Amino acid sequence: MIAGALNIAALRSGRRPSEILLLFGLIRRIAVPAIGVGTLFLFVFGLWLVHEAGYGYSDGWIVTSIILLLLGNAIGGYAGSRDRRTAEYAQQLVTQGDAPSAELQARVRDPISLAGSYGSGLILVALLAIMIWKPGA
Amino acid sequence: MLAAIRPDSWNLPLFLHVLGATLLFGTTATVAIAGFAARARRDHSALLARIVLRTFLLGVIPSWILMRAGAAWIGDKEFPDKTPGWVDVGFIVSEPGAILLIIVGILAWLAARKQGVGRAAVAVPVLASIYLVALGIAWFAMSAKPS
Repeated sequence: MIAGALNIAALRSGRRPSEILLLFGLIRRIAVPAIGVGTLFLFVFGLWLVHEAGYGYSDGWIVTSIILLLLGNAIGGYAGSRDRRTAEYAQQLVTQGDAPSAELQARVRDPISLAGSYGSGLILVALLAIMIWKPGA
Repeated sequence: MLAAIRPDSWNLPLFLHVLGATLLFGTTATVAIAGFAARARRDHSALLARIVLRTFLLGVIPSWILMRAGAAWIGDKEFPDKTPGWVDVGFIVSEPGAILLIIVGILAWLAARKQGVGRAAVAVPVLASIYLVALGIAWFAMSAKPS
């Protein structure tokens, strides 16, 4: 959510490179570590809960959930690496006068990066739905 | 093992409640983070104050409504007569919490008007952080169901 909200703010037209750098910097310094810690907790305590609740690790909905969790992280991580390059480009522009740039705006609106970021978020919503409905359990 | 014996008709309201609560926590955390960042980065305080206000209006309020509507729906189904203590903890956090959120919203609007400087801009992330702690307590009560 944090990354999504800051990313949406960065999409606005006419943003100066220093503003893009600030928003992407907040994502990198705060949202990305939070996602990492959250994913680790989700994975470890989720597997523990499977054991405690008496479900099987080979149950279809649990295997699907683990695959979705890994897939979501991989997609989000790939989008994040593209955003990191965009932030580096923004850093260059800051040192060159900090004027709004069409090239930078195009990179911020990179469809692959946006699809990866929001796709990984939608995967987490699907993961929540599987946890609630437990198809096949 | 409650989850294993939960009727299917409870799934949708529970999903909406948990989704709303998750979004509420995330958007409130965004308000707190952007608010604190506005204090640290004076050169961008106006931008961050606008982000705080927009996140509040477009994220926090809809998430709270989704969370609260889902809670009322699943609460009516699961506990039609009397709610247990752990559910009451959720109501205690959501109802007075709404008043706190209204105050946060007013202060966020004032902070945005003043370009992210002043006392309102200082108070917003602090109050949002307090609300995050309250949400954390409700989160524990909903998950662990003490008593």
